[in-house]
Amino acid sequence: MIAREERVPRSLRRFALPIGIALLAFVILVPLTSTDAAQQAGLPLLADKLWFRIATTVAMFVVMASAWNIIGGLTGYASFGNVAFFGIGAYTVGVLVSSRGWPFPLALIVAPVTATVFALIVGIPLLRLRGHYFAVATLGIGVAVGEVVNNLAPLGASTGLFLPIVRSDLLFFYLMLGAAALAVCSTWLILRTRFGYGLLAIRENEEAAKIIGVNTNLYKVAAFCIAAALTGLAGGIFAQWNSFINQENVFAISDNVQMILMAVVGGAGTVLGPVAGAISLELIIQTLAGGGSKAVYSQIGLGVLLAVCVIFIPRGVIDFFGGQSRLSLRYLRQTLRETSA
Amino acid sequence: MSLLAVRDVSKRFGGVKALAGVTFTIEPGQVLGIIGPNGAGKTTLLNCISGLTRADAGDIRWEEQSISGMPPYRIARLGIGRTFQIVRPFPSMTVRENTAMGALFGRPDGRLQPGAALKEADEVLNLVGLGEKRHHTVLRLTVPDRKRLEVARALAMRPRLLLLDEVMAGLNSVEVEQALTMVRRVQEQGVTIVLIEHVMKVIVGVCSQALVLNFGRTLVEGPPAEVLNDPRVIEAYLGERYARRQKPPPDRSPNGEGNEKT
Amino acid sequence: MSQFTQQVILGLLLGGIYVAVALGFSLVWGILNIVNLAHGALVIVGSYITWDLFTRWHIDPFLSLPIDALVLFVIGYALQRGVINRVIRAPLLFTFLLTFGINLIIVSLLLLIFTPDFRSVTPSYSGNGLHLGSVTIPYIRFGGLVVAFLLAGAMWTILNRTRIGAAILAVGADRDAAQLVGIDLRHMYALTFGIGAAFAGVAGGIISTFQSITPTAGDPYTLQAFAVVILGGLGRVSATVLGGLTFGLIEILGQSGPGPGYANAIAFVVLVIVLVVRPRGLLGRLA
Repeated sequence: MIAREERVPRSLRRFALPIGIALLAFVILVPLTSTDAAQQAGLPLLADKLWFRIATTVAMFVVMASAWNIIGGLTGYASFGNVAFFGIGAYTVGVLVSSRGWPFPLALIVAPVTATVFALIVGIPLLRLRGHYFAVATLGIGVAVGEVVNNLAPLGASTGLFLPIVRSDLLFFYLMLGAAALAVCSTWLILRTRFGYGLLAIRENEEAAKIIGVNTNLYKVAAFCIAAALTGLAGGIFAQWNSFINQENVFAISDNVQMILMAVVGGAGTVLGPVAGAISLELIIQTLAGGGSKAVYSQIGLGVLLAVCVIFIPRGVIDFFGGQSRLSLRYLRQTLRETSA
Repeated sequence: MSLLAVRDVSKRFGGVKALAGVTFTIEPGQVLGIIGPNGAGKTTLLNCISGLTRADAGDIRWEEQSISGMPPYRIARLGIGRTFQIVRPFPSMTVRENTAMGALFGRPDGRLQPGAALKEADEVLNLVGLGEKRHHTVLRLTVPDRKRLEVARALAMRPRLLLLDEVMAGLNSVEVEQALTMVRRVQEQGVTIVLIEHVMKVIVGVCSQALVLNFGRTLVEGPPAEVLNDPRVIEAYLGERYARRQKPPPDRSPNGEGNEKT
Repeated sequence: MSQFTQQVILGLLLGGIYVAVALGFSLVWGILNIVNLAHGALVIVGSYITWDLFTRWHIDPFLSLPIDALVLFVIGYALQRGVINRVIRAPLLFTFLLTFGINLIIVSLLLLIFTPDFRSVTPSYSGNGLHLGSVTIPYIRFGGLVVAFLLAGAMWTILNRTRIGAAILAVGADRDAAQLVGIDLRHMYALTFGIGAAFAGVAGGIISTFQSITPTAGDPYTLQAFAVVILGGLGRVSATVLGGLTFGLIEILGQSGPGPGYANAIAFVVLVIVLVVRPRGLLGRLA
């Protein structure tokens, strides 16, 4: 009903669709060149270790940005606590696999469940808050849960948890890609149901939504839980993929800010915006990081990127390129005039 | 059996008594006009009925069923639609989508799917005279059109009772005439209406019953013509001295109070 | 009993630090409607200035506080005028992201300049204290509390007794109306943020006297400043003072339960309880 795609001009769609399909096919097929069979058949190796690492990370951020988009973009509740779901998913798998000896697939199924239960518990009180209050309160979730984890001996405290190493780039890449597909499809599906319209109504005007019969409390909590389940799933996959988790690598607030930035830059509230944002920004960040040797510079880069994006593209890339305004100096000047003092 | 019965409803905000024991009933098919000076508690009363504000005391019954303390969305689905004095559209949606949202969520009977809701929206938009602008975004609408949209969204819920909060305020006389026609058409469809209004012409023109609120209490209730000529009402609006001087009271004295929040 | 008295005193002394940290944060939030996620980083910049002056020229940490204020004021003024002013009318999320970005940049620059090593300021009197029976009051902490009250007094005086303060309050009440009566908004925004940063800098100077500092040591202070403002209520200096002291007490008494290392978790729990039970804070006017 609410055809957001209409905003993208037809010319762009005509090019975007084939390019998108080609890109997707490439991403799905290229990893197969790394299999033994392909190598024996003499195919060129198109996906090396670095390729897998970057591609899996990108897919992971696609999941996180899309999940954030469901609560932040569609519902209008800018959560800074989604990284807690990631961490809880990761620690669920971590504890079940390393201390309880569960098989990874079984543990992975539990990860989204614990994240969802947690979202339900904190969501019911916190989703009554709005604006700054909601944002900082959720920011507190990630910090607080991370701190608790850091203090609990059964969770490895500040040392972290080590999982038995599973060496399979292919497995983790496809798992993450599957999670990304799940996140994107969920968003697409949500936008086509009553539930999705209810979320949009809440974002646009919550009082008005109540008065036309939207059960706002239920809808907000449900959106929060869906976001939590998807993010928790990504966290669970990450735990086994990375085989080491601690407070710093799964509860990092900067990850949360990254997923927000990706969704916002790509176009919050759209299906493909967070995907576009995650791919482009993660590639930029990976380039800045230069393979991890210059972590400080990548942090500065992320900071500058945040400032530039926020100042120049407050309406997202999708809107930036499509819609009534194009990439032009006039547009830039106009957004600056609208938002600055 | 009355459609809605409000009994002894009170509401305090800090030290201010917005409502101090208001009682009235609405019969099916009626058009009840609520008037009163700014700050008399009119909007608070609508908020209590629609569930946005919880009354401190008293009871509100919808066909014998108490709805006090019920969440707003459930009250809406019982068949009570309302508009806001300061319009609250969904800004990034088109006129048609805005209206369809009412049909999608507010129906007392069964659930509509998005496609059916849009069709329903078209019908309602024709009724309120926004048919030609249905693909506009809300931001392009004029003030009177936004007020119409507010009514359209409520009507798409197929309400049995419609609460209109100053839909005529800020409109010029031609626009008021159009809005009056719209209200009459809605009433002809069998919808019971409660409207808050400052424009006396509206009260006299469409209401079958009028109720005057002052300082959170019912001052006078009765047929509009009588109520408006009641010296107590004139006093409440214009002060005591004015009431004494003016023997035959003017019929549209407190007109044009503008958009101020009540 | 004396154990308890000691805890209460330590709580109040710690609360003084929170008052100092939260004053600037509260000003920026209340007037500019910006929750400044870079606040903690600005605090730590103040700490590093004090540390630098102390190790290089042996300047007493308490004497370097005015320098912290001055430097941070300039940084804050420039940040607001040059960068944050550009998104001040954008949705809340954008000022959030922007100030987080500024935080990242400041922390990274501190890492490059000062390395991640722990730094501490140790004047001759650190470790000494006033002994009253079994209760001890560390001089440094007490000095911090005194400075915190001076800061609160200064903030109150600026806001209520000066022309600039009147202009700042006018901007906070209604930006458009303030502009109509002839206030230069951009300058006032920058001035407000500059003052907020200056207060943060002084708080940082105090913090360096009792806590080892690292570039990331400021992060918890942002969340804690937020909790203090929520606890006390937005919009009054007295509310910040009450909020800060209460929060210090809660933290010290709370830590005797789960143990140290839970500072953020305690801040968060306090935050959520207050937001849900009494969103206006202890003394606040409006949520």
